Amino acid sequence: MKDFVQSFEDEAKDYLPRYKVLYAAITMASLLIVGRLWYLQILQGTELRQYSEKNRVKETKLPAPRGLFLDRENRVLVDNLPGFDATISPQYAKKLESTAEEVGQVLNIPARKIVEDVRRSQRRDGPFRAVRIKDNLSLAEVFQLKLLRWDNPGLNINESILRYYSLAHNGAQLFGYVAEISKDQLTRLNERFAGKMVFEQGDIIGKSGLEEAFDPIIRGRDGVSFVEVDARGREAPGESSLYYGFKPQPALPGNNLVLTIDKDIQEAAYKAMNRNDSIGPRIGGMVAMRSNGEILAWVTTPSYDPNEFSTGIPPQVWSKLINDPFRPLRNKVIQDHFMPGSTFKPIVALAALSEKVISRNTYINAPSALKYGRRVYHDHSRSGYGNINVMQALEVSSNVFFYKMGIQLTIDRIAPYARLLGLGQKSNITLSNEVSGVIPTSEWKLKKLGEEWQPGENLSNAIGQGFVLVTALQMAMAYNSIALDGKVMKPFLIKRVLNQESKTLQEFEPEVLRDATQENEFGVIIPQEHFKTVKEGMRRVVHGERGTARGARIDGIEMAGKTGTTQVRSWSADEIYDRCDARPVFQRHHGWFVAFAPVQNPEITVAVLAQHSCSGSRGAAPVGRDVIKAYFEKYHPELIKAAVEKKARLKAPASQPPAVDLSVREEAE
Amino acid sequence: MKLGSDFMGRSGLQVEERNLLSRLDFNFAFVILALNVIGLINLYSATHGLFSKGRLDLFWMQLAWLSLGWAVYLGITLLDYKVLIRSAFVLYGLNFAALLAVEFFGKTSLGATRWLDFGFFRFQPSETMKLVLILVLARVLSQREKTTGMGVIELAWPLGLALVPAVLTAKQPDLGTAMLLCAISGSILMFVGVNRSILVFLAIVTTLAAPIVWNFGLKEYQKNRVLTFISPGRDPRGTGYNSIQSKIAVGSGKILGKGFRKGTQSQLEFLPERHTDFIFSVLSEEHGFIGSVTTLGLFIILYLMSIRIAINAREKAGALLVVGVLAYMFWHVFVNMGMVIGILPIVGVPLPLLSYGGSSMLTTMIGLGLISSVAYRRYLF
Repeated sequence: MKDFVQSFEDEAKDYLPRYKVLYAAITMASLLIVGRLWYLQILQGTELRQYSEKNRVKETKLPAPRGLFLDRENRVLVDNLPGFDATISPQYAKKLESTAEEVGQVLNIPARKIVEDVRRSQRRDGPFRAVRIKDNLSLAEVFQLKLLRWDNPGLNINESILRYYSLAHNGAQLFGYVAEISKDQLTRLNERFAGKMVFEQGDIIGKSGLEEAFDPIIRGRDGVSFVEVDARGREAPGESSLYYGFKPQPALPGNNLVLTIDKDIQEAAYKAMNRNDSIGPRIGGMVAMRSNGEILAWVTTPSYDPNEFSTGIPPQVWSKLINDPFRPLRNKVIQDHFMPGSTFKPIVALAALSEKVISRNTYINAPSALKYGRRVYHDHSRSGYGNINVMQALEVSSNVFFYKMGIQLTIDRIAPYARLLGLGQKSNITLSNEVSGVIPTSEWKLKKLGEEWQPGENLSNAIGQGFVLVTALQMAMAYNSIALDGKVMKPFLIKRVLNQESKTLQEFEPEVLRDATQENEFGVIIPQEHFKTVKEGMRRVVHGERGTARGARIDGIEMAGKTGTTQVRSWSADEIYDRCDARPVFQRHHGWFVAFAPVQNPEITVAVLAQHSCSGSRGAAPVGRDVIKAYFEKYHPELIKAAVEKKARLKAPASQPPAVDLSVREEAE
Repeated sequence: MKLGSDFMGRSGLQVEERNLLSRLDFNFAFVILALNVIGLINLYSATHGLFSKGRLDLFWMQLAWLSLGWAVYLGITLLDYKVLIRSAFVLYGLNFAALLAVEFFGKTSLGATRWLDFGFFRFQPSETMKLVLILVLARVLSQREKTTGMGVIELAWPLGLALVPAVLTAKQPDLGTAMLLCAISGSILMFVGVNRSILVFLAIVTTLAAPIVWNFGLKEYQKNRVLTFISPGRDPRGTGYNSIQSKIAVGSGKILGKGFRKGTQSQLEFLPERHTDFIFSVLSEEHGFIGSVTTLGLFIILYLMSIRIAINAREKAGALLVVGVLAYMFWHVFVNMGMVIGILPIVGVPLPLLSYGGSSMLTTMIGLGLISSVAYRRYLF
């Protein structure tokens, strides 16, 4: 082997022709790299910059506080409270088991359950959705979890806002409740509000009542804050220099609603519905309305606590609620319709007067029963009422009198008057699930059931049985229009929409839907004097000697109203049971009481439906009386006080017990 | 001071008048130094992120390695490289023994056995083998007088010298280093010249062998890397993660970069291995296209200077040595950058002078020292 050291000078020149290969290789490789850098950094730079920003910046939603519900005097009915909840992000939870162990210890949840929950959510919704471990953390828990956070990637404590219903059970069906948006709601709402609002998974939305109806107005706009995170999801300590170009967006609180509701009346109404008398807490709904259409109180019983939904309702509580036979979730003021029974009679009376079937002074014989066709139609009174006029017929609630009206009018001449005053159609009070009720006509029956209208049906429908179905709100509307001599007011719940600076964005004024004494689209007119007649009859219901709501009198207040009792099952039940209250609860009669006061210059109308309370005068009337009394005690205390003083002066020598007679009496209806 | 105005070789053979300093190739050293400065600045950023507690010492360690590297660089420059070439086979033997030792007593880390643990220092024989192979091939090939391409018989010996350590390395498994050993040796062989028929033959064999190697020769993770390279989206949180995050880092730097220590991808630890293999994405993110191309430009200047030195070398051995180290630098830079910018699969190859790591720094500085030594000696004789 030749020693290379002896190689001659310039022998390396042999390689000279080879170097161009090196230049070529270097040029090619360099062009490749520079070209790729050009592509990534200049052509795709902007896009990749965005990627890198998404990468490091964790978007945290700042939930917007929903608008508050205030009563007509700006007292808070529905509020927001701060809350904390703990979540685990599966994406970052690298040591889930030990995290679950530590977290479970603090929160008193079995570690296994946490692991299962996280895994299940990960399977179902993917790793990026944070799994809620516990809502409504106590401050001590928040503190302890904060200590655990650094060592347990994925663990997070979120601030949330809890909806707080200060009246709890009271008015739950009216105010509604909030809960997390469901999957199908998500797609539905995003379609409906496309371009205006974006709903995301995890959003809290109003699920019923006003919360639902006014959701777009009160929900506000969620904000976002940007937190820098590392690849493991840990939040970067402190404000760092890396923070640029990301401005947090504060949450925009929703608008506040000033309701027409009066908290005092609402509370009195709830108390009245839960009267502790021989009948006990009522099942049903009631609504109190100012004569201009403003709803003052709206109660459905039995009720539920919507606050439980805010903190995440346990499944067993939920299933109990939906399986409750008394259906506490339903808004019985508008969502369910019922036969009006005798409370329908004033409307029939108006129809009879307007159609000139009778006049104010027409006396009609009202025996204890009426044979019509092959059937005998009974009245309450075994002796009959003799010759009575329409006012007396209303006072004693004679069935036979109104059977005769039914025969002469027939349903097709009654229906337009009922509709004219607001029955059988939705009030459009903006709450969802309102039913329209039914005011039948022969045409309706033919279309709906495919059957001819039977003459006998004129009788039963004339006393509010049969096919007639109304909601409590419609009854309040109709009676209010009677109180106002034909002015049909639109019932409404919202007085004002306020923004966060308490500036009024929208104001709602009372609205006269129509005047029954004038030409209207229903094709019938009720002359004003007939209202006077019917009102006199209704006044006697309360103030008359034989009035069915004598027990509902309030000293100093002149009230007009009508009781009603409707059969839940067939008449045959009457033959099995002597007394209504001997029956099983669900076979007992419904009781109605609809009234307004004062008779001169009416201010308030109340409709009470007491389901299965057996009687309008005992079940429903005391409730209505309590509410009306509460109204006058608040707004006209002088009237009540004057009456009490007057009575005291009269009775002083004898020093007798208070004159208001609330004693239960067997009523004839 | 006019730095090394004579490096182009204009001044001919006025040998003995020059003192040590003036014979040093200052331009060459200056480019290295520039890359060192960039490397240190960049490493500082990569190791001083928001979460890099306990990483701060890496910067000082690197500075220490760098100082040692420069000492070795100067030492080797002054040492006659011919001494090294003469002892090439001895070095080769020792290194080969070490490689075998790894096979039996090596330290296993991350599923691969690559190191011999000396307590204070973990020695990776496959790394030094790159340089030793250059020395051996320079020695063997420089003795060849023909200027035509090498035939099969001629090729057998140098190829064998290269392939055996490459196979051993691949078995560790360290496919990246094995491939680099092949690439460096191959480059030297190709530079010297290989018969065209052999090249064609090799091309065919490679094509045919590829599916066999794929099915039997590669470990699962290695296959995954290749698959992920072809389509990074197939496993964005697993194997493809590094590649995607690195691309995002580089691209998000745009033209001017996000600024020193402001690279979110690296500071917030989205980039894996950001102080070692992915150091270039930190640089690209924080200093943008300008910074990346400047750095690449410095490497290119380094290559061109090396070629100039090779051209001016006195004998074949020196030229081949320079070409070998050039191949070493070139392939490392190309594979590393290619991986970072997503045109090559992820292979654990450090970026010379910029990546953190004592072995890489020392090996690189030794290699560059060899080039410098060739430059230093071009006037002697």
